[in-house]
Amino acid sequence: MASANGGAYSYSLTVFSPSGKLVQIEHALAAVSQGTTSLGIKASNGIVIATEKKSSSILIDDSMVDKVAVICPNIGIVYSGMGPDFRILVNKARKSAQSYFKVYGEYPPTRVLTQEIATVMQEATQSGGVRPYGVSLLVAGWDINRGPTLYQVDPSGSFWAWKASAIGKNMVNAKTFLEKRIEDAIHTALLTLKEGFEGQMTEKTIEIGVVTVPTTDELEHAKTSPETGRPKPTFRKLTEEEVRDYLAL
Amino acid sequence: MSIMELNGGSVIAMVGKDCVAIASDLRLGNQALGLSSNFQRIFPVTDRIYVGLPGLGTDVHTLWEKFRFRVNMYTIKEEREIEPETFAHLVSSTLYEHRFGPYFIEPVIAGLAKTPSGGVKPFIAATDLIGCLNFAKDFVVAGTASSKLFGMAEGLWEPDLEPEDLFETISQALMNAVDRDAYSGWGCVVHVITKDKIVTRTLKGRMD
Amino acid sequence: MNSLAQRFSTTSPLAHFRKIQRLADEDEDVSDAAWGSQAGFGSLTKGVPTFTVPNLPDPTAFLRLHTDDHADPNCRIKIQHGTTTLAFRFQGGVIVAVDSRATAGSYVASGTVKKVIEINPYLLGTMAGGAADCQYWETYLGIHCRLHELRNRERISVSAASKYLSNLVYGYKGMGLSMGTMICGWDKTGPTIFYVDSDGTRLKGDLFSVGSGSTFAYGVLDQGYRWDLTDEEAQELGRRSIYAAGHRDAFSGNTCNLYHVKEDGWRFIGNFDISKMHYEGPGDVPGAPGGGYGYALRVEGKSSANPPVAEAAA
Repeated sequence: MASANGGAYSYSLTVFSPSGKLVQIEHALAAVSQGTTSLGIKASNGIVIATEKKSSSILIDDSMVDKVAVICPNIGIVYSGMGPDFRILVNKARKSAQSYFKVYGEYPPTRVLTQEIATVMQEATQSGGVRPYGVSLLVAGWDINRGPTLYQVDPSGSFWAWKASAIGKNMVNAKTFLEKRIEDAIHTALLTLKEGFEGQMTEKTIEIGVVTVPTTDELEHAKTSPETGRPKPTFRKLTEEEVRDYLAL
Repeated sequence: MSIMELNGGSVIAMVGKDCVAIASDLRLGNQALGLSSNFQRIFPVTDRIYVGLPGLGTDVHTLWEKFRFRVNMYTIKEEREIEPETFAHLVSSTLYEHRFGPYFIEPVIAGLAKTPSGGVKPFIAATDLIGCLNFAKDFVVAGTASSKLFGMAEGLWEPDLEPEDLFETISQALMNAVDRDAYSGWGCVVHVITKDKIVTRTLKGRMD
Repeated sequence: MNSLAQRFSTTSPLAHFRKIQRLADEDEDVSDAAWGSQAGFGSLTKGVPTFTVPNLPDPTAFLRLHTDDHADPNCRIKIQHGTTTLAFRFQGGVIVAVDSRATAGSYVASGTVKKVIEINPYLLGTMAGGAADCQYWETYLGIHCRLHELRNRERISVSAASKYLSNLVYGYKGMGLSMGTMICGWDKTGPTIFYVDSDGTRLKGDLFSVGSGSTFAYGVLDQGYRWDLTDEEAQELGRRSIYAAGHRDAFSGNTCNLYHVKEDGWRFIGNFDISKMHYEGPGDVPGAPGGGYGYALRVEGKSSANPPVAEAAA
């Protein structure tokens, strides 16, 4: 039924096709698979998420391009697909995390935040006058209950937990590559990105975020950073210098 | 006539060594008239958390149902039991939602928090009727006998009491305080929460 | 202009008090030191005690504004109203029973207050309202009852004594006196009770209860009262009524003081712990049914929530 151009079901309204498919969602997934590759790997002591950030022009100041986003001190996300859609989701996720903090006095567990984002994305598949988000997300976070966890959220609103996953252009190959070796997460991430990477992979053309599992000692004593008085973040983005060092390894 | 004193009632919570205790009287009155000597105003939130809700009788039930709803939703959504400190924040934010038309309740929370190393840490807290949190390390009090409870607790409490001694201390503090309060009394109930069990005792108090 | 006129008026309230003051000060100025000597303190026997009153054009209005009054619950000076007192007349004399709780707001200031004032061996007064007002004026009444005896070679009647008190407090009407008292005794006419309060009310009757717990006491009293009660039954009824009030009323309680007035004067029957009466009863005293007044009823059955075993089986 779905012809090359989407046929009668390619209007922005998400409507079931007679075969039971939501073509708009499949189109959204298609948009994702055209996006840059992103990946996430869970290790014993943390998680790494990474992505390419290749610019379409050398004139773009790539230091201002943010593809790995911090949501709250224990959660970060990366995407493949449409950048503007991602920005909206980051905004909503950050607000959601802050509202959670307002009620419970702590940041949400990864699963709860993932569910929250997934709900937002699902709503876009069932509401009138909107289109699904054109992104897939990798959500990496740490919480006291489940430790480090990595989730993937798709435009349909479905989500899964992964040991390692890849989304975007090269996802099929990247996943196969990941299946072969999960050891040193950051190193693996870099190697996986390198697979099918077009052009030079430098600290300017990739972004990496890591979740570090706090030690029991850290948990018992210093819940907040002595400098800022705020909860110690478990998720952070690697600086360009750090990325350069890892690339040099 | 103060609406906080319409029905009477008081709650106290104390910290011990690896244990906490929470206790309350059992009176429900209409101003000077005593109506019930079996009005429970302390409720179990989880296996390790209790909340006491002294204040307006009708709000005791309404607010407890609200807390139960929210804690159940939390438990289902997050697939885990709520921790005492998190619950305290939930209580606080729930009360502040009604900043300009509050529930006339001053909750007291007592529980054991799980530590990352697998142990337990005693936790008590109290809030005013619009949710200002007070995390105390020793004891918290609320209700019509609060001033008298402060006096008793200040005199009797000491650090690191074992469960049995904590029971004796909180019971004496409560029983003697409510005997000096016209709106509290008519029997007491005491819960002592330890790592592996909760001991609940109903005490005979003065009936006048 | 008004205040100027009042200063020279002979009918204004201020002028009235000036007159009282002048009468008292006629003989000499009683210095503070005189209070240490008998002669000085004897000024009380002159008949009219004097009090300092607010130095204002209208002290009554000032006092009404600042002291406890039925009309204004927001007044600055609070006087305790929580109490239960009762007295009733029967074939065997007069039973007087009171509780012993004193409250200040919700604070139980004392649990051992003597609310029966022993005016003389034949007269008792009960205390409800302002403790100091009752104590002072009923003691003062005692002095005059004794003077009456000395002057007339016979005891004062309960009627006369109560009227003396009633007239006294009426003179201070509106100035914040707060008393609700029962003057009980035995005179030529037999056992007698007069209710006197600070509004000026004076009533003769068989059965009275005064205070915040009076409704509860009346409940028990009314259903158990007969003229031909035996002494033991009557004492038990008084005790049981105060228990009921002490139990239900937040501002009454702690203990019950029981008095019995007979032809040969009053006798103190005993002091009974109200909470103990609830659980165990008044103890081994004549008229007591044995067992607690309230505890078994609620905890060991006989209530809908927890019916007795036999009834539940039926």
